[in-house]
Amino acid sequence: MAFRDRLVATIRAARPIVELPDILIIGSEVPNLLQPGAAATLVVSLDLDIGVPVHRHADVKERISELVEFTPSADEPSVWTPHSPHLLEVNFVGMDPAQDPADAYVFEDDRLPMMVFGALSLVCPGASTEIEGVRVRLPHPAGLLLEKLVTERTGEKGERDLLVALGLLDAVSRDDLEQFDAAYRRLRPELRHAVRSNLTVLSLMDPRAGMPDPRPRRADVAALFRRLEAGEGQGS
Amino acid sequence: MPSLEYRLRQHRRRTLVRSWEYRQRRHAHGVWFRLRRVLANASAACVISGEDARALMADGLRPEPVGHELDPPKLIIFAPAERIAGLATARPVAVRLSAEVLAAECLALTRFEGSRDEN
Repeated sequence: MAFRDRLVATIRAARPIVELPDILIIGSEVPNLLQPGAAATLVVSLDLDIGVPVHRHADVKERISELVEFTPSADEPSVWTPHSPHLLEVNFVGMDPAQDPADAYVFEDDRLPMMVFGALSLVCPGASTEIEGVRVRLPHPAGLLLEKLVTERTGEKGERDLLVALGLLDAVSRDDLEQFDAAYRRLRPELRHAVRSNLTVLSLMDPRAGMPDPRPRRADVAALFRRLEAGEGQGS
Repeated sequence: MPSLEYRLRQHRRRTLVRSWEYRQRRHAHGVWFRLRRVLANASAACVISGEDARALMADGLRPEPVGHELDPPKLIIFAPAERIAGLATARPVAVRLSAEVLAAECLALTRFEGSRDEN
């Protein structure tokens, strides 16, 4: 089964949740869904991350029983595993716009607990799009790109997440970059340094199967790095 | 929810490490960022001999300060692509933190177009 078919089937199966107001598809599938026709050729991933603003948690919980094709994982209750191998896992991730970008907390709940990552406070809703009959809302690319670059990235997953940022760079417009730049300037110095540091890591990465190849985009990464570095004080 | 609590502890541990690294950025630990920063601004890299490196410096090109922070030190010099192409010992290497790049005593780099000379 083609990856895009699994992704689309998963979105259909998660329809009761993803069509709720303010619910966002976040994470590695966003570059795939931003491609023309949601072509899903950029990032091969085994999960679908669903961003749940904490003020919408009750709405999601009310409809969670409609996710009939998934079962919550015993090990990780924010992850719902599919019954069918033709579907992807669904991960529920909390979003709290009031949170510090470097912080995280557990939103405790007996049915649907979630990790709430502060970096997701940088993400705001973007366009809604229809994926084969299901209306989903994606994040604004600028905010998601910043979230991907500001988050501490270590190990295999960290590097894959940086390649998702590369996929987002493909999708951003000039206006998006202006917004990205403005949001970057509002970060405190330590987090701005983290963004620039992650860009240097991204620039020097080897290609990985099923992910965007960083090598042909090194010039774009370098240009973005220079843009961000402009105006930074010596040693910041 | 032990798994979520575990993830939370991991996240906070990474955040603490990052804060420490940020405070170290002007000191020895920051050398890796400074080295990556130089390499990230390079479109191409060649390993060159010490003699060729000295020839580039004789042209007025200055080595990147980060090279002197490494042990053993390296001469890392940005130069025009055509000048590097004329060096007898220039051997192209991929621009990444590979064993080959880390082992090189002298590196000649080409800047991406639009990148300014910061020496």
